[in-house]
Amino acid sequence: MSTYILRRLIQTVLVIIILSYVCFYIMTLMPGDPVELMIQSNPKITSADVERLRALYGLDQPAYKRYGTWVNTILGGDLGYSRTYRVPVEELMIPRLKNTFILSLLSLLLSLAIALPLGIYSALNPGGRFDSIVNFFAFSGISIPSFWMALMLIIVFAVQLGVLPAGGTETVGLNSENFFNFVKDRGTYLILPILSLSVQQIGSFIRYARSAMMETLRNDYIRTAKAKGLERKVIIWRHAFRNALIPLITILALSFSGLFSGALLTETVFAYQGVGKLVYDSIIANDYNVAMISFIISVSMVLLMNLLADILYGFADPRITFS
Amino acid sequence: MDLQTQESLSVKMAGNQGSLTDAQKKDLETALPLWKIVMRQFLEHKMAVVSLGVILFFVLVAFSADLIAKGLGLDSNRQNVSARYLLPFSRTEIPNDAKESSIETWISENPEKSQALSKALIDKQILMSQRPADEILFELGTKPQTEALQLFEKISQPEFVSFKKMLENFGSFHLFGTDEVGRDVFIRLIYGTRVSMGVGVMVAVASALVGLFIGSLAGFYGGIIDTLLMRVTDSLLSLPLVPVLIVVAAIDLQKLPALKSLMNPENESIVKMFLILCLFSWMTVARLVRGSILSLREREFVLAARTLGARDRTIIFSHMFPNVIAPMLVAITLGVGQSILFEAALSFLGLGIMPPTPSWGNMLNNAQEVIYKNVWLTILPGIMIWLTTISFNFVGDGLQDAVDPKSIRR
Repeated sequence: MSTYILRRLIQTVLVIIILSYVCFYIMTLMPGDPVELMIQSNPKITSADVERLRALYGLDQPAYKRYGTWVNTILGGDLGYSRTYRVPVEELMIPRLKNTFILSLLSLLLSLAIALPLGIYSALNPGGRFDSIVNFFAFSGISIPSFWMALMLIIVFAVQLGVLPAGGTETVGLNSENFFNFVKDRGTYLILPILSLSVQQIGSFIRYARSAMMETLRNDYIRTAKAKGLERKVIIWRHAFRNALIPLITILALSFSGLFSGALLTETVFAYQGVGKLVYDSIIANDYNVAMISFIISVSMVLLMNLLADILYGFADPRITFS
Repeated sequence: MDLQTQESLSVKMAGNQGSLTDAQKKDLETALPLWKIVMRQFLEHKMAVVSLGVILFFVLVAFSADLIAKGLGLDSNRQNVSARYLLPFSRTEIPNDAKESSIETWISENPEKSQALSKALIDKQILMSQRPADEILFELGTKPQTEALQLFEKISQPEFVSFKKMLENFGSFHLFGTDEVGRDVFIRLIYGTRVSMGVGVMVAVASALVGLFIGSLAGFYGGIIDTLLMRVTDSLLSLPLVPVLIVVAAIDLQKLPALKSLMNPENESIVKMFLILCLFSWMTVARLVRGSILSLREREFVLAARTLGARDRTIIFSHMFPNVIAPMLVAITLGVGQSILFEAALSFLGLGIMPPTPSWGNMLNNAQEVIYKNVWLTILPGIMIWLTTISFNFVGDGLQDAVDPKSIRR
């Protein structure tokens, strides 16, 4: 068990290191570097200045050397400085992580509350009318582009009905001491992002719940329970549902991995100040420090949560051995 | 053979034993080939069959895009600033100065015909001109298109057919309205079908081939190759796709010299999109293929082939591949839907297929501003994406049921 965890941990760290290097290298391939931007903003710059600036920023060094210097400063606790927002990166990251966490957690809970009952109920009577309708909606959910769903919600609720804001995180300038007002304000900005994020999750959760339940109902012990003359309710809840939970826990654990990584598309469409939007904005704006850090944090979160999910899975299902 | 026919057969047999008709005997004696079983099973999945129809329709549309454009006289890149944000089912005409200049070129190209036409118009008193006689053609042309055509019909001499064609080009009907620079949305959606579905299908097929290659290498040889390849596969699988794709899509591929020769500016963004999506979508197939090859490796027919002295290549290609084709087909079908969604997302963010080439995703590119002017510009491409993706997903589901022996009800 502990060797398994150790091995997975080493692997995860290795992936993060490789990925950060690849990401660093990719950033050098993106159009425009800091000095090029300075050239654009200052037409009087001389080529000698350019040379000096390049040497100053270390841009004349090969990528792997620059990566080494960069990692050293990061490990020294200096995450760097955002060129767009003019604040240290860690100051930028922490509220973003919080925002993303709230959004993802709420939409995950909503999806589970809707999807699990629907999926399980439709598995009890496969091929029936209820099952077909639920199935169609589940397929629709996984086939709708999430950003388009977001746009549709904006069209209906913000443009046509005008009841909810089209985007943002909180009302600017609302400096409310009242906790209730604060929650209410944040809530109105959260409804549409949560809905649009949930649609896809609901679709896939329904499919997983349905197939997990159907798979379980096919087992011999269910037939035995039926043969014993047990009540249908007992068979479903005590014998089938409990066992169907095992694969569902994996899926649940895997969706936890997205809690901090951010829903890039949804956040971007709704201008919700989360990690996903930060990743996108900083890449578009050539804000290297922010782009690197936010990307690596968001990916590392996913990888670590995956690891956690695998370990938890072992506790949930005693049949699984770590080897 | 499904349950019902078998039941009815056995009932018949119990009823008159020993007296089977020849047809019944034949039915019992012949085994159904695999593809027929699969097809029968697939046809039972109603949504999958309907979806297959939808996909075939879209494929047809994609292939005949040029034909449709020519037939309707529409051009996916023709802009018309005077007719922006038109609603569905509206007509537009080009501005009068544009009409006049094209009449002028027609006159200078066909001086005799123009003389004759003006003469005919005046003789038949179709137009009572206040202006000098040689300007009568301009007066006819700058009238609203339907009226001009009606008036022109009264002459209807075959030699003036080129003038009539020109008149017909002066106005156009926009089934789905026009976009922010006055381009026809209908024809752009049709060309978008070509691009979006083309990218989706190509990515799914190509990445399945990559996955097949890597998966079979890992599964067949095992050992260090297997460990290495599967570590890479697992690592790639664990990455959150959207942020990774966005980082990769932001690369300026021109800085990579190896790829520079592959593309010209015209299709650069399509090739780039294809490469990026392939890079991150082969893993599922690789794992699937590895799994089935691992189990096939222990089977008797592989042992038999090996004993007969077959080479590795022969065993992999002619004994193992036929057994992994079915699950791969499912993976490819489901992969098309995924790729279309990713292409749309990246193009929506402005990192995918670059305008003026229309794709469903980049038609939504500035949807956030456009929704206040004309909601149809946002609704229609999304419906196309949703319809195609759901169709591919349903067909994939149907295929999965059809090729999975556990779910075949016989």
